[in-house]
Amino acid sequence: MASVPTALSSLILIGLLVADVPPNSQALFPSSEPFTPSAPTKAGGHHLQSLQAQYKSLSEQLSRLKPHQPYILVDTARNHLYVKRRQEVVLDAIASTGSGTILDKPGEGNDQWVFDTPRGEFLVQSKLTHPAWVKPDWAFIEEGQEIPTNQADRVEQGVLGEYALGFGKGYFIHGTLYTRFLGKNVTHGCIRLNDGDLKRVYTFARIGTPIIIF
Amino acid sequence: MSFCAVFFMLLLMGAPSQAGDLDAFPDLNLNDPGAVQEAARVLQEEIKLAARPQTYLLIDLVTSTIHIKGRGVELHRVPIVAWSAKALHNLKGTHRLIVRPPVVRRKIDPTTSVEQEPISLADMPVGYTLSFTPSLIIDVAPVAGENPLQWLKARGNAWWRSLKDETRSLSTGQSTTQGPHLQLEVSAEQAQSLAWSAVDGMALVVRRRADK
Repeated sequence: MASVPTALSSLILIGLLVADVPPNSQALFPSSEPFTPSAPTKAGGHHLQSLQAQYKSLSEQLSRLKPHQPYILVDTARNHLYVKRRQEVVLDAIASTGSGTILDKPGEGNDQWVFDTPRGEFLVQSKLTHPAWVKPDWAFIEEGQEIPTNQADRVEQGVLGEYALGFGKGYFIHGTLYTRFLGKNVTHGCIRLNDGDLKRVYTFARIGTPIIIF
Repeated sequence: MSFCAVFFMLLLMGAPSQAGDLDAFPDLNLNDPGAVQEAARVLQEEIKLAARPQTYLLIDLVTSTIHIKGRGVELHRVPIVAWSAKALHNLKGTHRLIVRPPVVRRKIDPTTSVEQEPISLADMPVGYTLSFTPSLIIDVAPVAGENPLQWLKARGNAWWRSLKDETRSLSTGQSTTQGPHLQLEVSAEQAQSLAWSAVDGMALVVRRRADK
């Protein structure tokens, strides 16, 4: 159940969101056309009540699909990571996300790596402390080095910070040595945070916490 | 304190957040059958989209806002400064973006020590056309004052497309079945933001204004 401050802040937030829409926004061109809904077949009042009931029922259904547990939201355009609980922003952290650059894969063909942070909804699949980076092939190719045959030569300690949260296909939320790049799109797809924010996200997140990335 | 008073207080405490959540379109005039019918149609589509782990777009022509959403939650909003539309009555259901706006990606060259600049919002186009399936075309242009050339280009494209339709209609003697077409003017920054957030196959639902 919502507490009074939460309820009030929800009201204020809803008010702000509504107020944020330009009040004079409207179609400016003469060709703008509204549509005509199909004509009501039943008697007016009855039909309206039925429509209202349907609208309310659908609104409830949509509301039930919203995350009721806290979730992580990542804005790759502005490089921010938020922890949200319903409408409330629990944490707003500056992040670094995918650079969007490309790298040719060795060998013939036109295969490439594209260093984007994936978009959509994911779940926290793993929580690691003192993670080691197992360098993938592209990390060596990018630096013009040979790909090692010995797996141990791929392991690098201390570059991912104290914690890492895996969300599938080798993507992690982790720390960084390069804090000056926070707020920029510089990564190979992972999401970087500073040490303090990373600790808070790690403490907050559970296995299964949703991560929505756009 | 009586049971009724406690119950009333609890109701009061819980009501605001519930009400906010349960009214998908707070601007909706519940006494306008056309508007309610349209809102219900959009919600039916949105429920299908929100049930899946994906982000989607909702263009709300009533509030002149583009919403980027996931799981029914608004992730980001883009205010529309002005819009115009054709054949919106042909809009049905959910549309899928065929291809996202183009962006020039830098290629990493391992033989040089020069680091490639990453792409950023500033690299995204400010004027572009989004094509969807089933047929829907959306032209996005910056407001005239911000980028007059891009605005003129967008208007010219729309005029040319319209002229071609008219010419085809005259030459064949039959009225062409026109697909839905939207022209949106947003700020240059928001146009870039929308281009960034759009991904191939992204779903879109449009909420239309009801005829008064």
